[in-house]
Amino acid sequence: MRRLGPSLAFLLASIPAWSAPVEFRRDILPILSENCFACHGPDEKARKAGLHLDLRDAATRPAKSGAIAIVPGNAAKSQLHQRITAAADSDEVMPPTRTGKRLSAAQMELLRRWIDEGAKYEAHWAFVPPAVPPRPVVKDGQWARGAIDEFVLARLEAQGLRPSPEAQRPAWLRRVSLDLTGLPPTLAEMDAFLADTTSKAYEKVVDRLLASPRYGERMAIGWLEAARYADTSGYQTDGDRTMWRWRDWVIDAFNRNLPYDQFTVEQLAGDLLPGSTLPQRIATGFNRNHRGNAEGGIIAAEYAVEYVVDRVDTTATVWLGLTMGCARCHDHKFDPITQREFYQLFAFFNNVPEKGRAVKIGNSPPMVASPTDTQAKELAALDTRLDDARRRWRAQAANLGRDQLAWESSLGSPPDSDWAMADGLHARFPLDGNLDCSEGNQSAAKVREGAARFVDGSVGRGRALALEGTRYLDCGDVGDFGFLDKFTLAARVRPDGARGGAILSRMIEQDADSGFASDSEGYSVHLKEGRVQVYLTKRWLDDALRVETEKAIAPDAWHHIAVSYDGSRAAAGVRVYVDGTLQKTRVLLDELNQTFATKQPLRVGAGGGPAHRFHGAIADVRVYGRVLTDEEAAAMGAPESLAELARMPAPRRSPAQIAKLRLAFLDRHAPEALRAAHRGMVALQRQREAFIEGLPTTMVMEELPIPRESFVLLRGEYDKPGERVQPGFPAALGAAPQHPPRNRLDFARWLVSPEHPLTARVAVNHAWQRFFGAGLVRTPEDFGAQGEPPTHPELLDWLAREFVRTGWDLKGLHRLIVLSATYRQSSRVSPAMQARDPDNRLLARAPRLRLPAEMIRDQALFAAGLLVERVGGPSVMPYQPAGLWKELSGTDHVPGRGEDLWRRSLYTFWKRTSPPPMMMTFDAAGREACSVRRPRTSTPLQALVLMNDVTYVEAARKLAERALRNGGATPATRLAFAFRLVNARAPQPAELEVLMAGYEQQRARFEKDPKSAAALLEVGQAPRDASLPVAEVAAFTTVASLILNLDEAMTRP
Amino acid sequence: MNPFFQSTHSLHRRTFLGGAGLGLGALGLASLLGERAHAAAVTGGLPGLPHFAPKAKRLIYLFQSGAPSQLDLFDPKPHLARLRGTDLPDSIRRGQRLTGMTARQDKFPIAPSRFAFAQHGRAGAWLSELLPHTARVADELCFVRSMHTEAINHDPAITFFQTGAQLAGRPSIGAWLGYGLGSENADLPAFVALISNGSGNPADQPLYDRLWGSGFLPTQHQGVKFRSAGDPVLFLSNPPGVDAASRRRMLDDLARLNSLQHGEVGDPEIAARISQYELAYRMQASVPELADLSREPAHVLDRYGPDARRPGTFAANCILARRLCERGVRFVQLFHRGWDQHTKLPAQIAGQCRDTDQPGAALIEDLRQRGLLKDTLVVWGGEFGRTVYCQGRLTADDYGRDHHPRCFTIWMAGGGIRAGHTHGQTDEFGYNISRDAVHVHDLHATLLHCLGVEHTQLTFKFQGRNHRLTDVHGSVVKDLLA
Repeated sequence: MRRLGPSLAFLLASIPAWSAPVEFRRDILPILSENCFACHGPDEKARKAGLHLDLRDAATRPAKSGAIAIVPGNAAKSQLHQRITAAADSDEVMPPTRTGKRLSAAQMELLRRWIDEGAKYEAHWAFVPPAVPPRPVVKDGQWARGAIDEFVLARLEAQGLRPSPEAQRPAWLRRVSLDLTGLPPTLAEMDAFLADTTSKAYEKVVDRLLASPRYGERMAIGWLEAARYADTSGYQTDGDRTMWRWRDWVIDAFNRNLPYDQFTVEQLAGDLLPGSTLPQRIATGFNRNHRGNAEGGIIAAEYAVEYVVDRVDTTATVWLGLTMGCARCHDHKFDPITQREFYQLFAFFNNVPEKGRAVKIGNSPPMVASPTDTQAKELAALDTRLDDARRRWRAQAANLGRDQLAWESSLGSPPDSDWAMADGLHARFPLDGNLDCSEGNQSAAKVREGAARFVDGSVGRGRALALEGTRYLDCGDVGDFGFLDKFTLAARVRPDGARGGAILSRMIEQDADSGFASDSEGYSVHLKEGRVQVYLTKRWLDDALRVETEKAIAPDAWHHIAVSYDGSRAAAGVRVYVDGTLQKTRVLLDELNQTFATKQPLRVGAGGGPAHRFHGAIADVRVYGRVLTDEEAAAMGAPESLAELARMPAPRRSPAQIAKLRLAFLDRHAPEALRAAHRGMVALQRQREAFIEGLPTTMVMEELPIPRESFVLLRGEYDKPGERVQPGFPAALGAAPQHPPRNRLDFARWLVSPEHPLTARVAVNHAWQRFFGAGLVRTPEDFGAQGEPPTHPELLDWLAREFVRTGWDLKGLHRLIVLSATYRQSSRVSPAMQARDPDNRLLARAPRLRLPAEMIRDQALFAAGLLVERVGGPSVMPYQPAGLWKELSGTDHVPGRGEDLWRRSLYTFWKRTSPPPMMMTFDAAGREACSVRRPRTSTPLQALVLMNDVTYVEAARKLAERALRNGGATPATRLAFAFRLVNARAPQPAELEVLMAGYEQQRARFEKDPKSAAALLEVGQAPRDASLPVAEVAAFTTVASLILNLDEAMTRP
Repeated sequence: MNPFFQSTHSLHRRTFLGGAGLGLGALGLASLLGERAHAAAVTGGLPGLPHFAPKAKRLIYLFQSGAPSQLDLFDPKPHLARLRGTDLPDSIRRGQRLTGMTARQDKFPIAPSRFAFAQHGRAGAWLSELLPHTARVADELCFVRSMHTEAINHDPAITFFQTGAQLAGRPSIGAWLGYGLGSENADLPAFVALISNGSGNPADQPLYDRLWGSGFLPTQHQGVKFRSAGDPVLFLSNPPGVDAASRRRMLDDLARLNSLQHGEVGDPEIAARISQYELAYRMQASVPELADLSREPAHVLDRYGPDARRPGTFAANCILARRLCERGVRFVQLFHRGWDQHTKLPAQIAGQCRDTDQPGAALIEDLRQRGLLKDTLVVWGGEFGRTVYCQGRLTADDYGRDHHPRCFTIWMAGGGIRAGHTHGQTDEFGYNISRDAVHVHDLHATLLHCLGVEHTQLTFKFQGRNHRLTDVHGSVVKDLLA
């Protein structure tokens, strides 16, 4: 009996009395599926001997040999029966000996009876839409509070069993509080409930809990795990991402009781809803929560496919309860889903404008800026201020033209002056006959590999540095920019012929006289065959951003070149100006994933090695630490002095010249009021840009305007496309739609159509699992032929229909369940009942369930008075043993301070490759893939966490202080107080006695050993209540820790 | 007969580390009565396993993360010296896919190894000069030169080696072993992971907890990472101010209260809980003793080399692995990082070999002298190999190599393995396998075979399908077996 597994236990509980007729779905299909379908099932390619047993026509047709697998009404003549009952060591026996499978006598008998009774086939129950089942007649009408109870009781009565008595009120209150809000009741709530003798006492509690914002936080726990939500991208690099605005959407959706059909549509296709709102777009983050691979050298196409497969698998698991992934490489072996149908679903999710290679740090496009409500208000306030500033500016600028004209006409008289935008200028090397840095704190540049030589500058003005392909300028540590920085680089150049070369760079120099190598790291602006090329590279071949201008510049003439980069890591963030005009560029490579910052100096006339030295002359090198506007960049293109510009007839001025005059006037020469208005407006504009850049973003689903083509992938491999497919639904799941579905919105609406056989059943099953520890279908991820059949099929269908009838009302569904008599039963179990139904499939008692990881921690913090309750916000980093991340990767975990340590656990930062250890020890899923069912294990590592982790020692310490302050005058009342805070009941005398003795013993010890007492009270950042005696707090801390370690404390009663 | 005994039968699936259902329910009570608990022979595991008499009782896997270059360590191609710098012929490359790091290279110049090779031992195994200590024990080893894999990047490739699938979510080898074979030590986990960093390339690729995770198997089968800094096992130490006697007292009180609760509600999970706390208490004593290498004799430490006295090094982890095996731990998974030599291969690989060569050889000798090698299986290797062509610039004394899944070398030793044997062969360029290919699934099948497990019969039903470590593939490579 050591291995009495769930399947046998199930059979014992579910095999009908021998007189009852055999039911195909319940009794036969599971046997065929488990033992026969791998070779004789829906997968055509795997089929042996041309026989398949999944369809009656096929199974009752004579084979080539003339033998008939199933002769309805005559088991003796049926090959099937002959083969399964053949001698175990014969060649004839089925399943074949090599599979290690053998039918039990009971299974053989069921098959015999089924064939003899006519071998009636039925569709698998889960693919037939649920009908409202008739309410069963029960003997004990008193007990049942509603339909749920009638279905449960009918099953119990059929087995000759009775439900358990009602749970004690305190136990029910703790149960329902934990189940609906994830936290235990407060002492006041306990007292109020115990004192409430009205008939509505239970309802009042449930309604209070459903209205609490904690409800959404509690319900989100399971959903985040199903949605594989995390704060990092997974795979090897596992860089941070920002999806918490999606997480907060989920909490909010539960709290405002968004109907489940809308909850579904918005998460799967909110972006496609007409006039979709920002929250609806954020909701689509559901299917961007999958991992993203940023490892260097991956083949992007391979992962582009994996992401889509993940979406199909996850969506199918969460909403359909189907193992759709089985049909990726071949037709499903057990369920009527073809490989082609898998790729028809794939086609729905294959239209996102995304790359297979994820961004290493941060969100990968597509994404949306996702301000919180507070941030949206701040932004609106900023906009108002900006509007005001613009109004002030317009008022001041009314006479701008006239004022500027007056100024221009005053420019005729000497001294002439020049102007350059100083705002954001890090360094400027005019190279006008010397190597000095005219702006910024740099020392003069040094010439390398030769001596400085100067030639005439542009348009006969000043001088410029001459370069002949060997010499270059070393400007020192200027322009230390990386891939997240914004900057602008500019210089005036005159290339000799078509030879060009590097104009400006901070890049590793290759020693050999050859091209760029994989380690040509850094940034560089080049002139190659007259085209300006910009290189931002980490690794030359595969981790770089390279663009070039479409048009070549004229050789042997002076040009102004400016390049800006906005820190976006995308080619679109690079702008190139030639002579003040924004250039069209071509992307040579758009794969920048890591920073290109180097320790190299800023070089003028060199970049990447001796092969790339500049040939020609260079002057006026400028480095700005910001992105210049088009007008500012244009202004640099005009070499003329202000007086020269002023002298030019206005119609002959180029855009660059116009820009220079205007900006110079606004910057330096306009009346102060005008300048102030301009400064104020620009400052606010920048503030707004910075604010928007600082907003959290969310990765979202978007649709390509022209759908990407989708194909059946042979063997599921990304590079083996087969037949092309259009989006479509699996035929087994209902009638074909009138119009061919086009996109995810059609898919989502199909999912929540009231006739859908699975969606509502799967959803109510999730709810049941939440409140009873296991679903009515105990394999919530698999409603197919290989899944477990429901323990209470009529109840499942009734709940599903009721759910749809009430408008997919989740809170209503939860209310219905927790107010049932079934839920209200005691969880006490007798040895006899434990033996008869160890897994509680009959529901003759309430289950006693070890709490999920999150609740164990939250409850401890709550009892200690430490819990900081604030809904939503960025994820936080509570305590974690030092070095856990560091020993696996480069980054380290830096624990938060103060409130971050005591937020609810669903806000804990989730790093996929090194998840929070406490959570993993208590069975949380790793969030690498969708998970809809958690195991509940019992291990010594759990004991070590609760005894020794600083979180729980600190919680014990604060619980002790709280009890000493508020728990009455004696140790006994204080211990009872602490015990009740955690377990929601007063301790029994025998229990109190153990606690008392332990406390007294520890107090004696700590009084003798004040050092140890002090050491214990040092644990955790929460400040100590210094008014309390050290030895007493220490002693009480050990007992409080004991209370938090009780099996009862970590168990939902 | 204690009252818990009868009701714990349904718990075995959910108790620790494959361990404990029946036995520890009783142990909990035994300790209540003041009796000292004793380690059980085998706890947990599946009925009917092992399927046949195992040659190896335990496995130490010295995983070399990042992928060591087979061309510079194990698989000599002396004639390539003449072809230095010439392009790898298309007839060899055959348009096979390359990583994104070198796919855009316009040339694929052959980079012969800079290191000299010689034959060692009676069997004459070829080894590079970088591995003088391995050379000493060459006759104990079985070299597989014809390993190949499907993945071309680290994460999927390491995940493939550890779980039999490229994507996350499957159980690791150790989780399968714990699930199937259970534990031989009631005080320690069945599956331990140890991590060290390479000195040849300290900023190398990260690792991930999932590599020793339990995937869809119950959580208790996940590997326990032993750490070299702080507590060897997370949260092992009592908090400051709480001594062992206080902890004992607390546990006694806890057991009393939990027993009272059990009397109230009858839930057999409570019995399991009590026993898990007792096991935790025993780990608090056994693990620090185990992790403390200071009592190893000097000559043993010396054998493992200069790093042996520095906790957290590969050398220290090798000693720890031996100590774990001596105490009945089923599977010790070492990870040594730093083998990803895209550039500066000669310098980096020398450092990596300094880290691993002497300790690896010492482990073999140490196990042999203690009589443990005959039933301990040891495996050394990375997740793929490296290209014969140079990544980046080929200079007189420097080169780099990209990832290469088509052939690479690992070695195995100990229980059930054919010592002094070299299996498989690669082509003249060390680019494709020319004879006796061994796929990762085949390796897994072979490892399980040595441990007495028929790989097609160790299954777990998840999402409606019976999964196994070898998916639907793999065959035992008979030629590797003694």
